[in-house]
Amino acid sequence: MKNNIRVERAIKNITQAELAEQVSVSRQTINTIESNKYVPSTVLALKIAKVFNKPLEEIFMLEEGD
Amino acid sequence: MKNHFLFPYWTRYLGWALVILHVPLSMLGRAHGMINIMDPQPRDQGIFAGEHLFFICTTLVMSAGLFLVAFAKEKIEDEQIWQIRLDSLRWAIFINYLVLIISLIFIEDVPHMLELNLWVPLIFFIIRFRWVIFRLNRSLSREGDYEK
Repeated sequence: MKNNIRVERAIKNITQAELAEQVSVSRQTINTIESNKYVPSTVLALKIAKVFNKPLEEIFMLEEGD
Repeated sequence: MKNHFLFPYWTRYLGWALVILHVPLSMLGRAHGMINIMDPQPRDQGIFAGEHLFFICTTLVMSAGLFLVAFAKEKIEDEQIWQIRLDSLRWAIFINYLVLIISLIFIEDVPHMLELNLWVPLIFFIIRFRWVIFRLNRSLSREGDYEK
């Protein structure tokens, strides 16, 4: 699964730490999600989408092989 | 990440204190001949015999300490930490049974094997868990420059 959290963050101009605080996880978790090392739970993915005011599919997308 | 019982964050320090306390305590006991690990048959038997009580005290102090360290909350408990914790527990159980099976085959000293079993999973769990979190933090600080 890929995501474009980094791009969305840049558009909204917030840091990893700020996003982490808004969805109540650690900065490490946001960092590992951004670098595709960790797949968030549905609840966390929905929370992140809510922060960016976008539908889930615009932030997280399946890759080939998923 | 609600409804999962873990000890409060500060209990980890209490846990380490207990583990460290156990070292001089058991050394003192050994020096005074309270416990003799080479002696398979304790001199006085029974639950309230001094030797047994001392053994229980030191072993309990150590395992309670390890238990507190292993199951204390992190500063920020989130789903990734929870996943790392589960994964480390899985590894700890694997290793524990590996050690147990190997020692069952090659070692005939069952009481010491059980003693080993008391701390191998906890120690291994703590090492694996801390190591993964350390690596996570290290990769974060390496990428810290991009962050802004």
